[in-house]
Amino acid sequence: MSTDKISIHIKGSGSAKYDFEIDPTITVLELKELISEPASVTSDCQRLIYSGKVLKDTETIASYKVQSGHTIHLVKRNASAASASAPGTATASNTTGAATTNTSETNNNVPSNIAAGVGAFNPMADLTGARYAGFGAHLPQFDASMFNDADPDQITNMMSNPQFQQSLNAMLDNPQMLDYMINLNPQLRAMGPQVREYFQSPMARQLLTNPEAMRSMMSLQRALGGGAGGAGGASAFPAPGNTTASEDTTSSGAQANAGSAQANPFASLGSLFPPAGGFDFPSASPAAPADTRPPEERFETQLGQLNDMGFYDFDQNVAALRRTGGSVQGAIEYLLNNP
Amino acid sequence: MSLKRINKELADLGRDPPSSCSAGPVGDDLYHWQASIMGPPDSPYAGGVFFLSIHFPTDYPFKPPKIAFTTKIYHPNINGNGNICLDILKDQWSPALTISKVLLSICSLLTDANPDDPLVPEIAHIYKLDRPKYEAIAKEWTKKYAV
Repeated sequence: MSTDKISIHIKGSGSAKYDFEIDPTITVLELKELISEPASVTSDCQRLIYSGKVLKDTETIASYKVQSGHTIHLVKRNASAASASAPGTATASNTTGAATTNTSETNNNVPSNIAAGVGAFNPMADLTGARYAGFGAHLPQFDASMFNDADPDQITNMMSNPQFQQSLNAMLDNPQMLDYMINLNPQLRAMGPQVREYFQSPMARQLLTNPEAMRSMMSLQRALGGGAGGAGGASAFPAPGNTTASEDTTSSGAQANAGSAQANPFASLGSLFPPAGGFDFPSASPAAPADTRPPEERFETQLGQLNDMGFYDFDQNVAALRRTGGSVQGAIEYLLNNP
Repeated sequence: MSLKRINKELADLGRDPPSSCSAGPVGDDLYHWQASIMGPPDSPYAGGVFFLSIHFPTDYPFKPPKIAFTTKIYHPNINGNGNICLDILKDQWSPALTISKVLLSICSLLTDANPDDPLVPEIAHIYKLDRPKYEAIAKEWTKKYAV
């Protein structure tokens, strides 16, 4: 069997054509090395296509059921294409997002698919994968800048968005995700398994998904000195069990402070949210520190690029850029999906 | 009937495929194919490989196959969902056409867009008024999604 050679044709661009007699049990990579000499293209710059599929290096020729006398297409890939990512976009998010989702055979700087393009949200990419492809589209809303300069009403609106609720619930349903979040935060990590249980309890869910609770938390935090950072955010979070979202700043603030003084394990829950600084978003908007400049100034380059690409609606563009923390990639995806 | 015809097309494609296209069944289901088109060298899509999905109706070839791009492409006649605005895939379909011919028509659509019957008016607008800009964006998208 292994000695039954088949003859195949390799068709390159233009009129280039090469004929080979090969043993079908060789791998695609071995075939590429055979081709590299006559076609003068190194094997890593070759893409072979048969029957509408790109042949993977590690598979054998036989596994693609290539028959004798059939033709395989050869496409040359430009090695320099890797540096082709859009100039001036939020490249930080591009590179990180693409690097985790791309396979090693594709360019690392260029998003290979839609989910990677949105990739302003890198840390989840490796653990979620394809299942969360759609999920990623909503998550950039979680952007730190959103929380930093948004007023409580905005947050409330966001929280009432059914899509957001869905994402949040999906997140809480996924034990992997919970482990990840817990691991990110040293305080939570130190607390051990109870934390997980708490997050999975209906009570926690209600607290986290209730727009009113979030709203009062936000205004509380503001009242307590706004950007006080981690500590402020943590203590401002209502103690567990106190899910009655009280608007009364002083009383519930005092209560929460008391809670943290007793080293209440749940007080640091608040730190899950960006204002408290627990959730690490390496790719969050470059403009993360509360940026008060008007949008046309803040997103000047990005707006220009969107205009160039044919998105003319200023308000929509700004809204999209805000959601994605200034990532043109993400904004385009958003605009295309929400015409 | 449809299966016999699809098998014949598959055999023809394997023996003598068009120079810039390739197609075959995704799995064991002969009614569901995938195809790839190499961006024509004289177009802004040069260097890219674009994938398409093909679904044959059970009454093929009396009804046209459903073909859509699965790779994002910036083109006046192809929208964000990959749907293609091409007459032979709709009212001008003829049972004498084959997948190979349809793919070649799509190739020529990539070289010569039809901005007067656009699926994405914004792109058609740029195509007509500022051709260099259209080409630059199409190239950018090709690099991003199809290389």
